[in-house]
Amino acid sequence: MKGNEVEFIGKITAGVTHEVNNVLASIREISGLMNDILSMTDEKSFPRKEKFQTSLEKIQNQVHRGVKLTSQLNKFSHLSDSIKTEIDLNDSIQHLIFLTERFARIKNVSLIHQTSNKSVTLISDPLKLQMALFNCIAYLLNRISNDGEINLSQEKKGDDFFVSISYNGEIVNRETVFKDSSSVEELVSLHTILESLGGTYEFDESNNTIILKIRDKK
Amino acid sequence: MNDIHVLLVDDEEELAKTIAERLEIRGIYCQTASDGDKALDLIKSQPPDVVVLDLLMPGIGGLEILKQIKSLERNIPIILLTGYGSNELRIEGMNLGAIDYVLKPCNLDDLIIKIQKAIKSE
Repeated sequence: MKGNEVEFIGKITAGVTHEVNNVLASIREISGLMNDILSMTDEKSFPRKEKFQTSLEKIQNQVHRGVKLTSQLNKFSHLSDSIKTEIDLNDSIQHLIFLTERFARIKNVSLIHQTSNKSVTLISDPLKLQMALFNCIAYLLNRISNDGEINLSQEKKGDDFFVSISYNGEIVNRETVFKDSSSVEELVSLHTILESLGGTYEFDESNNTIILKIRDKK
Repeated sequence: MNDIHVLLVDDEEELAKTIAERLEIRGIYCQTASDGDKALDLIKSQPPDVVVLDLLMPGIGGLEILKQIKSLERNIPIILLTGYGSNELRIEGMNLGAIDYVLKPCNLDDLIIKIQKAIKSE
């Protein structure tokens, strides 16, 4: 996709998430007002008061969920704002996990982030970095059995940054999964993305792991 | 809290009126304005103790309203109401003299605490 097309999608998505947030804010306040009014009403004049209050609480919980989703989607829409910015790998991985959890959940796979206590920051392209990580997750999800965990962790060694994506469950054709192949779409795409980031990838077959090496674009 | 008078400026009228109603249940008198002109008219005719101001609005934007309120003789504390992607606007608003900010959708209890703090700071 061309840069201006990505920018276009980003801007429209950002605008819509802003509007959706206003809708959610209104639902939150209207249901809050209903709860306020109910709280001033006694049980005798409102026989199903408790049921209504529980239902309002459920609306509030769904609003909370919606706000979280739109805020993360809004953050995602701004990834194309800059091609070179400071990225905290902890935040970046956490953000991607939130956005891709659904794909994993369909296969009953959990995405687990091994966070590090100290920030691991580098200068890079935030959108391409997310795309590279997503490609690795998609590559594994397309080749593993249901169940298990995909673990993501990050570290800095010298001037280079590494992200490890490993799977701890059952793999049907293990010998083909952790072998590089130019005929696999996700790997071709991953190679192209990483090349533009000045990075590479490799397989650690013994640990069911894909390791991304990313250069700091300082 | 009965003597607190708030002006809530937001082009989302349904949202603003509902927040105002909820504040009134809690004893805070709250007027609403859906644009900058109405807000400035209300501020001149019935100066509030605090203004809660949305930054992204059509017409006169939140920052311009903020500047105009700050240019008035009476110093009225302003709390910014901000949404996603408004970080730069928020920083600019704080630099222009806003006392605090809340993120949309705001927690009503937090907003009330900030309103009370804003009044105390005056």
